[in-house]
Amino acid sequence: MEWEVDDDRRPVVVVVGLIEKATNSTKPDLDPKILKSIKSVVRHSDSELRHAAEYLISLMKRDHSQVRYLTLAIIHELFMRSKLFRALIVENLDQLLTLSVGFRRNQPLPAPPAIASKLRSKAIEFLERWNSTFGIHYRQLRLGHDYLKNTLRFQFPNLQANAARVQQERRERELRTKEILLKKYELLKSNFPSIKDEVNSIVDEISECLDILITSKEDNVPLDPIDEDDVHEFRSIELRQIRDNSLKEADKVQENSENKVVFDALRELYKVLVTKHIVAVQESVSVLVRVELSDNRLRDSMLKEFIDVRNHLKSIKKKCEEAGCVLTTPADETEEDIWEEGASETFDISTSTTPSKQTEDHANKRNDSPECSDRKRTNVIVKVEDPEVSGTKLNPLKSKLMVEAPVMKWGSFLDNWGSNRDFMANQRGLELEGHWGRVDHDATIPANKIAELNVQAIVYEEEHKEIQQCGAPLKKGGFCQRKDLKVCPFHGPIVARDDEGTPLNDTISTDDEKPDLKLFSTEELLKQAVNNVRETDKEVVKKREHDKKELKRAKLVKVRGHNEAVLRDAALASTSGSSSIGELEGREKDSLAKMLKKKMTAKDRLAQRLLSRKANAKQLNLGEDHSKYREAFPNQW
Amino acid sequence: MWKEIGDRESGKLRPNSFITRIRSNRLSSLLLSNHKEIVSSHRGAINSLQVDLTEGRYLLSGASDASLAVYDIQRATDYEGGALIAKHKPILAVDKQHPNGHKYAISTAIWYPIDTGLFVTGSYDHHVNVWDTNTTQVVMDFKMPGKVYRTAMSSLATSHMLIATATEDVQVRLCDMASGAFSHTLSGHRDGIMAVEWSTSSEWVLMTGGCDGAIRFWDIRRAGCFSVLDQSHSQLGRRPPLLERSTTKVTSKSSSSGQTSSAKARAPQRKVASGSGSKHSGSSRTLRHAKGSAKQRLHPGLLSSQDRATAHYGAVLGLKATEDGMYLLSAGSDSRLRLWDIQSGCNTLVHFEIVRLQSSKAIQLAVTQDSSLVFVPCMTSVKAFDVWTGKASMTLQGHYEHVNCCWYGTHDQEVYTGGNDRQILVWSPPKLISQDVDEGDRRTVAVDQDNWSD
Repeated sequence: MEWEVDDDRRPVVVVVGLIEKATNSTKPDLDPKILKSIKSVVRHSDSELRHAAEYLISLMKRDHSQVRYLTLAIIHELFMRSKLFRALIVENLDQLLTLSVGFRRNQPLPAPPAIASKLRSKAIEFLERWNSTFGIHYRQLRLGHDYLKNTLRFQFPNLQANAARVQQERRERELRTKEILLKKYELLKSNFPSIKDEVNSIVDEISECLDILITSKEDNVPLDPIDEDDVHEFRSIELRQIRDNSLKEADKVQENSENKVVFDALRELYKVLVTKHIVAVQESVSVLVRVELSDNRLRDSMLKEFIDVRNHLKSIKKKCEEAGCVLTTPADETEEDIWEEGASETFDISTSTTPSKQTEDHANKRNDSPECSDRKRTNVIVKVEDPEVSGTKLNPLKSKLMVEAPVMKWGSFLDNWGSNRDFMANQRGLELEGHWGRVDHDATIPANKIAELNVQAIVYEEEHKEIQQCGAPLKKGGFCQRKDLKVCPFHGPIVARDDEGTPLNDTISTDDEKPDLKLFSTEELLKQAVNNVRETDKEVVKKREHDKKELKRAKLVKVRGHNEAVLRDAALASTSGSSSIGELEGREKDSLAKMLKKKMTAKDRLAQRLLSRKANAKQLNLGEDHSKYREAFPNQW
Repeated sequence: MWKEIGDRESGKLRPNSFITRIRSNRLSSLLLSNHKEIVSSHRGAINSLQVDLTEGRYLLSGASDASLAVYDIQRATDYEGGALIAKHKPILAVDKQHPNGHKYAISTAIWYPIDTGLFVTGSYDHHVNVWDTNTTQVVMDFKMPGKVYRTAMSSLATSHMLIATATEDVQVRLCDMASGAFSHTLSGHRDGIMAVEWSTSSEWVLMTGGCDGAIRFWDIRRAGCFSVLDQSHSQLGRRPPLLERSTTKVTSKSSSSGQTSSAKARAPQRKVASGSGSKHSGSSRTLRHAKGSAKQRLHPGLLSSQDRATAHYGAVLGLKATEDGMYLLSAGSDSRLRLWDIQSGCNTLVHFEIVRLQSSKAIQLAVTQDSSLVFVPCMTSVKAFDVWTGKASMTLQGHYEHVNCCWYGTHDQEVYTGGNDRQILVWSPPKLISQDVDEGDRRTVAVDQDNWSD
């Protein structure tokens, strides 16, 4: 806390130095530590704050957008906190806006254009925030905001208004749904007795039908004992499964010419029950759950009744399913063919019996038709088993293919290998109903999405490679044992070597040079030698002169450098408390200056060359044309 | 402040000096008013502002979109932010849609000086309209030969009601409201006329400034102008010697003793000023007469039309006479403000620290009641200068574009400024007692205080 000690003696130094340090950076954001220290310094002394404001405004005038950007960030930080600072800044608000937004045509924002645009958008955003929080206390803020918004038509981010609008929209939507619910509730209240009557009548009818069927069933003769004996012979689980099913089937009432009429009626009633009443009751329950009323008693009683009705209907439905799996209309059968797939069936059968039931349930839900005829099911099994049988027959072909096929490691991606169907998104056994709003049971995830999610993952393994030894002969005998990829730090590039450690390629290159030399005659050699000597003499003379100049220059540079260092030290000692600021300065300035310089790209260079050449050519052509024209058409008058 | 009131109570302070002290105190602390806001309905640059002279309550503004509006500056139409900001919306607004409205920019809008039942507007569509305030109808319409830059009515006139108009044309026309005709056509300027001002000491004297850089004084009872101001014809200090003045024949001033005494107190350099300037003026006058006799043909009133003296290099953009009618301030497109002694017609050589003036449009100056400060629109700001020393005492910085006009409200020491950014700003001394915000509103309004998080 050096500066706080200094505070009384040199009040200017501290904050100015800190601000200088904070803004002298190429980073997009302020250093939070420096910012914090600026804040703490400024907080304790008003004079520091005044100096800070003054210095910040002067920094805003710098010809560098980066400096301005960081300065603006500091201004914003202080502006949101200090009242005095606000008063100081607001006095010169139009100047600040000119320098940060750059709305005056004769004072555009300075160089790095990317940062300049960032600066502008930030300044506008800040102005909006200032205006929304403090606008009421400062007419200048209101004026500036109004001017930029209504006269110059700058686009303000309008954060607050946007948030408010979104909120408003949401509230309206909620209100609308509430209204709709209420309407539905009213309707329901008026319709309640009629619905109940309808449901009761259908329930009665169904139960009557069922009674008739049950009474007729008692006449049937059971065939069980014969089957019991055969149990031992069925070794395979699959076959037993089939048999169990068939046994269960036997328990049920078979449709025949006698009770066909009853079954038809039952089917009809069942269809009505499932498609109309259960759905209606479900819906009304959900309406009752969601509706908000001042008086809840009536609603609660209605809800209770509806739930009872629903449970009753469900039990009836179950009874129907148990009694008559007869409900196969032709349309339903075709549907079944489409979605029921062999693969899942075979899987279920071969592993366990419970999943098969599950799929059955699924089938019921999806088709809104509960039946699952066993006749159909056995067909499916046969169908699936067929390829297996044929597979064993075509063994040579398969084995051939097996040889060619790549061996894959096991992974979850194999679960859906080659399958090309859409997945139901909301059919995973999780009961989502009514927890988070409506659930779309038919939502599917398309096959390509699934494929995307299940790509094969491979862990990269690098190829193991033997690294060659350096193998150069060592003084103490033996060879260098270092293993480097390309260059040995002691013996140079690693090359193939023979047993004694001499490189193999080297000898060849030395051999190459000798024949060249032989071509020269002795006379020529002499001449060359004399020339060489003279040239070296000349070079030496030149070099000496050059050296002298260099020496002088070096001396001058040294002196200058020393002077500068002394000056800088003096300046630092008089302005800044901490030495670290001084150290940074040179380098950072350099980089800040670099930001200003436009980078020379390949395109620029090309353009320069092409353009200049073209221009030259054009000029030449022009001259030629003119002379030609003159020759062709001498003065016609 | 309290000390002064105490002094006044005990009789140490005389009423007049008490008033002037309070006024100057308030004036020296002018700030952009946060609690008084004029909601400008204009969609163009504001060219003219005037508060009525009888009640000091209604602000009339004319703008470039041919709209004009009247604001009640005493009573706000609605409040905002828990009565923190009083908003003044126009109580009367006329725009282009009005059947008799102006077609082009309104360059000037002034109140009828006797009451607020009438006001006069001049526009670039060559018309000067006289409006009835209560019915918002045009009751009289004068067709001018060119664009109208300024109009003026004498606030002292008892025997005439003439509207002096400065137009593109070289002649100054005086429109008579009683008859609906031009009563005078004053010729002498060599170029369009940008500024016109009635003398505040004599109802017959009119002062005009033209694009030729000349300021001419006219006595409307006689033909021709009686004086042309010459910038090279100068005097140091504020006043020529008393003796010389008594010999001159120019219209006698109504005021005197109080002013001279104050002048004595104020100008120690009076001694220096004495001889040369006034002597020079006397000689020039005789010279002019001599010239007239030489030419003989010319009517004596038209003699001065030969005088090509200039008050500014470039056009004269604005004129303003001080309240006591002894001095005239003129602003020119050469970015100079000059203070003239009306009586002697001399440039007093006060140097006003102006950097730059807007040079394309006529500007409207304002002078305080005791003629201590002059408010001058300088580009985007309004500067207040000490009239006698030329020192800038305040800079009113608030507009985002050029300021065209300003008006000093004498009642509550407020300054109104209008500019190209379509705003009318109110500059007022800070309130002595900060208004208490209602408890209920305090919660909604963010409190303006320090908020350090760390």
